[in-house]
Amino acid sequence: MEFVKRLQESIEKHSDHNVLCINGTFYTYKEFALEISKIRSAIVDTVEDSEKLIGLVTNDDLQTYASIIALWLEGKAYVPVNPDVPIERNTKVFELTETKYVIDSSESTIYNNYQVIASTKLADVKIDLVPKEFSGDQLAYILFTSGTTGLPKGVPITFDNVQALVGAIDAEPTFDLVPSDRCLQMFELTFDFSVVTYLFPLLGGSCMYTIPKGAIKYFYIFKLINEEKLTVLTMVPSIINYLRPYFGEINAPDVRYCSFGGGALHSEIAKEWSDCLPNCKIFNYYGPTEFTVYSGFYPYHKETDTKSHNGIIAIGTPQKDTLYLVVNENNEEVAIGKTGELCLGGPQVTPGYWKNEERNAQSFFTREENGEYVRYYKTGDLCLKDEQGDFLYVGRADFQVKIRGYRVELAEIEFHAKSKSERKVNMVALDITNSLGNAELGLAIESEEFDTEKIFDHMKTMMPGYMIPMHVRFIKEFPHSINGKIDRKELKKHFNIS
Amino acid sequence: MNREEILSKVKTAFISVLEHENFQLTDETTANDVDGWESITHMMIITEVEKAFSIKFKLMDLMNMNNVGDLLNSIESEL
Repeated sequence: MEFVKRLQESIEKHSDHNVLCINGTFYTYKEFALEISKIRSAIVDTVEDSEKLIGLVTNDDLQTYASIIALWLEGKAYVPVNPDVPIERNTKVFELTETKYVIDSSESTIYNNYQVIASTKLADVKIDLVPKEFSGDQLAYILFTSGTTGLPKGVPITFDNVQALVGAIDAEPTFDLVPSDRCLQMFELTFDFSVVTYLFPLLGGSCMYTIPKGAIKYFYIFKLINEEKLTVLTMVPSIINYLRPYFGEINAPDVRYCSFGGGALHSEIAKEWSDCLPNCKIFNYYGPTEFTVYSGFYPYHKETDTKSHNGIIAIGTPQKDTLYLVVNENNEEVAIGKTGELCLGGPQVTPGYWKNEERNAQSFFTREENGEYVRYYKTGDLCLKDEQGDFLYVGRADFQVKIRGYRVELAEIEFHAKSKSERKVNMVALDITNSLGNAELGLAIESEEFDTEKIFDHMKTMMPGYMIPMHVRFIKEFPHSINGKIDRKELKKHFNIS
Repeated sequence: MNREEILSKVKTAFISVLEHENFQLTDETTANDVDGWESITHMMIITEVEKAFSIKFKLMDLMNMNNVGDLLNSIESEL
């Protein structure tokens, strides 16, 4: 596997460089290589060859990162579980994947019913980073996301999938990490975005800076930018929403790349944030877990590249070997400029949800193109393609609601509500079901109460009556999921209209 | 305003955000000691404190705020 071989080469080549900064302590690539070798040796000694899916407790330490590489050198997959999540859910994940072995760097493990490799308590061995030969259709990791039925939904990703991601990012000359780069790694390892924030720094010989558990994320990130002079930031947009009141105090000339993903990036805040980073290229990445993190990006520039739709920055074009297709309800391609569901094809598509045939039948389809069959994943995101070939994000398919029979795009309401608001606060439009079972529109505003008359006057000039929210709630702080996305389900509970 | 008065106002802000009183605030108290005090509620507490004292913290101060003692010092310097 080429990228695993390259990981070996990079770790060996940069042995005197720092690989990680965790809670103020630096670790070199050499120390990393030793931890990888120790864990690898323990895997070889204890895990049967046929066992491919190995549990990993995602602590914020050197051993946890080393475990991922150790497993990959052996052609095995990691099944990460967050130690802050209830053990019942984590053991459910292990049950679904039939995982018997767990690598755990915790002081004492709670996974007593599993064969545990205590990764901090291993004896020294000779460094050995030579990867084993294995086939690319083996799994590299499985991530679980919340499923609509309450049962977590597993997304398996193969080594070939990851190789295709690495190939696509390599093909992009404007993004290239070097050993002097200092990169933010703010993501929990159960979140797919983390794959790009550890993999690319490791391939480039760069240093990663993590956020200690218990730290105030937003200020800690600023502290790292300010004191450690980070050069590469990879973030979800909600981070800058929280830092926004302090943008005036942020000037970070060392940052050269800032990548966003995992949520809609809004034009106005992108411009303001861009002012804080005078020497930085900003990438607005798009991609679901099912497509191995990234599928493409839009290179944002506050003066020259500001393409947006309803105030949301474009997602640009597909990356190397990736196909984008915008379809209607019957999976037929729609015309340029028309909104439809974005589907992704190419070597980064997951083999399919873990043991979930029903879901797979809904989310994937095959289409004949130039005599070949191409398999597509349906993202659930509504997009349109413009005349220049750029893709624009419109909203979630499930955020497209029917109000009194009319199709309504919730993102459009949010755009108009925010555009004339004097207060720079977050607003989310929601469909609320009333006592008659009909959908009504609500507007949640993340703020203290204020007079919304002007906002509503403006909305009424821009949208038909059925699109004007009937209910307004002020919520001091929006609820977020563990990955930093706004929890809409939780927000809806504030609207008690039945 | 003496430090005790400041602490008492700060405690009120904590209670209003966290919606419980099941904690003690001393100079050494950190987010790990108080149920529900984490990244997002911290941002709310900061806003609440700023309002209660009619002050505006600097990002530099917020960045180095590690415990309740640091918070009280920052408030004192802003008053």
